[in-house]
Amino acid sequence: MDGAVISTWLAALLTLGIMSFVYKDNLYYKICEAIFIGISAGYWFITYFWDSLYRIAWIGVVHEGRYVLLGGVVLGAMMLMRLFGKIGWIARWPLAFIVGATAGLKMMVYFTTNAMAQIHGTVDDTMVAFGGGDLYDLIGRLVILIGTVTGLIYFYFSKEHKGLFGGVAKVGTWFLMITFGASFGYTVMSRMSLLLGRIEFLLTDWLKLVK
Amino acid sequence: MKRQIPMLILSAVGTLLVVSVFIPSARHWQEDASLYFDIIAVFAFFLGGGNLIRVHAEKVSRKSAGWIYSVVTLLGFGIMLVTGLFKIGNPNGIAGDISQAGSYFQLLFQYVMSPLNSTMYALLAFYVASASYRAFRAKNTEATILLVAAFVILLGRTALGVLLTNWIPAQFSVLQVPNLAIWIMNAPNLAGQRAIMIGISLGVISMSLRLLLGIERSYLGGDN
Amino acid sequence: MLALLRIAKSIVFISSLLFVISILPTHSVYSRDTSPSSSDLGPITVRAFDTDNDAGGSITVEWDDPGYERLSGFAGFLVWRTNTLTGTSDSVEVTPFGTRTYDDRSVSDDSTYSYSVAALVNGERLMSTPSMQVRSSKQWFDGRLTWVLILGLIICGAVIYFIESAKRGTKLFLRRIAGLEAIDEAVGRATEMGRPILFVAGIQDMDDVQTIAGLTILGSIARTVAEYDTKINMPVRASLVMTAARETIKHAYVTAGRPDAYNDDMVHYVTDEQFGFVAAVDGIMVRERPAACFFLGAFFAESLIMAETGNSIGAIQVAGTAMPAQLPFFVAACDYTLIGEELFAASAYLSGEPRQLGSLKGADVGKAIAMIVILVGVIATTIASAWNSESMLWIENLLRQMFSTG
Repeated sequence: MDGAVISTWLAALLTLGIMSFVYKDNLYYKICEAIFIGISAGYWFITYFWDSLYRIAWIGVVHEGRYVLLGGVVLGAMMLMRLFGKIGWIARWPLAFIVGATAGLKMMVYFTTNAMAQIHGTVDDTMVAFGGGDLYDLIGRLVILIGTVTGLIYFYFSKEHKGLFGGVAKVGTWFLMITFGASFGYTVMSRMSLLLGRIEFLLTDWLKLVK
Repeated sequence: MKRQIPMLILSAVGTLLVVSVFIPSARHWQEDASLYFDIIAVFAFFLGGGNLIRVHAEKVSRKSAGWIYSVVTLLGFGIMLVTGLFKIGNPNGIAGDISQAGSYFQLLFQYVMSPLNSTMYALLAFYVASASYRAFRAKNTEATILLVAAFVILLGRTALGVLLTNWIPAQFSVLQVPNLAIWIMNAPNLAGQRAIMIGISLGVISMSLRLLLGIERSYLGGDN
Repeated sequence: MLALLRIAKSIVFISSLLFVISILPTHSVYSRDTSPSSSDLGPITVRAFDTDNDAGGSITVEWDDPGYERLSGFAGFLVWRTNTLTGTSDSVEVTPFGTRTYDDRSVSDDSTYSYSVAALVNGERLMSTPSMQVRSSKQWFDGRLTWVLILGLIICGAVIYFIESAKRGTKLFLRRIAGLEAIDEAVGRATEMGRPILFVAGIQDMDDVQTIAGLTILGSIARTVAEYDTKINMPVRASLVMTAARETIKHAYVTAGRPDAYNDDMVHYVTDEQFGFVAAVDGIMVRERPAACFFLGAFFAESLIMAETGNSIGAIQVAGTAMPAQLPFFVAACDYTLIGEELFAASAYLSGEPRQLGSLKGADVGKAIAMIVILVGVIATTIASAWNSESMLWIENLLRQMFSTG
């Protein structure tokens, strides 16, 4: 038996083990799950170790002289203070750094790429609609306009969803449901192809029933 | 003190990064912050990895239910650490890249982790089927709309959709399922996506401000 | 040392000579051209200017092509740079076909430069006259983001205004969100059944704002859990999330007056691998059979695997995410789903604290602005196109400019 045969068998047995979970939780799945957790946790630790600690921190500071990165090392070391009961609270500093950075950065990213871009897109689409195009286009763009505005009204928190406002918000939820349905329907086929991919591996590479 | 300094760090870092968006010469702060995050995350992993070892080692030492699986997990973790740290089997030795093909670390990735990953991902096919089945028993208007939209899109992506409705005359071609699916994607679906995305961005802004102003700080713990 | 100095001097001398030679015969280059068609073409006009809205160290070069690209034997345009302070010249780049602009990022703000562009035809350099002298500089403000700043200030101002007015005691109304009312019910049911609750704060790290939103909700749930003395199990995919979640739960237990009941094992790290994590969470669900599952944070394809497994064990499930592609699966498989913005609003709702609730009012102002802009835009365009109204056209253009982020 050569290496390729062993590796294919190994991959096939692990594949079957995970698939067995669909039937029910069992010993075979539990072993595969345990292997999966151990191997993957180790994989990521090693990857982070070489990619972040070695390549960014060590090479960056020691070999490239990017001393600004020392700040990250100091904050990282503070994280480890969690291991020492009494001064464990120092670990909140790097945590605060990360939360602050995330809040600041993401606020701007979401504002420009989500809010500004989407408002621009809607205005742009609907602007074209009434300037020209056939009836089909007009209806489509009218739907975009109504859908976006009623959808936003659904998310409006300051007013109870009652009366006319409630009715408009209800239309908004219908649009949201169409969006969810569309995503759902769009994804089903690709998910099926994933399973077909694994079955193909078992039948072709492992059992060699299909050529 | 235990909460004030973290709050100060949080507000200062957040505000500086907001400002950096507008100042071209300060944009590299964002990159630096991201590198800081990478470095802090790998230090944090010593805590996470340590926790993994402790939890499973305790299970083994107490011989609690399923302890044998914990042995397997610990073994797997240990093997990856040893093969990865010492780059065993790496064609270029310890100086070689960790993703170098042929090293034991990469072999384990390729033949153990990768098939496990793909299969777990592939299980989605079963779950998507069971979720669809439940959706078929739609009980209210919203669920019915979701179902109909999903059905049209799904049908529109298959040959069946073409076969079923290609008899519809050209002037009403929009009603043919593949065209209807495209229309749903480009009009009502787009509208819903936009409302969701605009809402999300405003939600992020208000939450970020709560964080930067120190109104929301439960994740920083108390004064203990 | 002396020898090196001599070599350096020779290099400077030769390159200066070459530079002078390359500049002097510029006008005669075209007449030297042996190609009959290239001689018919006019000179290349070059403009060089400081690149706008940057941190310095960059000059943009633009040129017109009088028709060299159409000649057979054309190999590209060569961008030639002269440092007018030191007198040194070098070729910077040969641009690909069809390109008329080049962003030179290898300049110093302390020097001045002049650029020439040569058409490379049949091995010959047909050099343009040099551009005006130019110096790169940094800008203190990115002018393209003026409207982002103005609109951002308006929305942030609205949020802060409502936070402040709530602080002063102004009563603010907020509608109910069904998913949030279900949280207490779910924890209560777990308590009655003597079974744990499972909390998953997504699969992203702390650099995702959705994870932070998940943890802020965890703070409220953990307080109820502490009060009811229910068990909570929180597997995490990232070590930083583990640390932050522990702080959150610990704080909740202290607030609920039950610090002794807290222990670190409530939150445990599994693996950073997406599907490895899912395999473990699925295992936990079928073995521990939690009575309630919370999925609040950023999720990808695994959303459906987890939600369907939770469904199969009959748990009450509350999910929330701002990942639009995963929302349908949560909607299909969970009892309650916090859609997009509701995830970020949830902790404010649950805290019941006026200042937090005020921030939600501020976000509503943002939504109102969005709706008004969209509607005004549509009306303005319709009138502008139907009646050729100048003022409406002005509004239309203003709106396009305001929301252009590119």
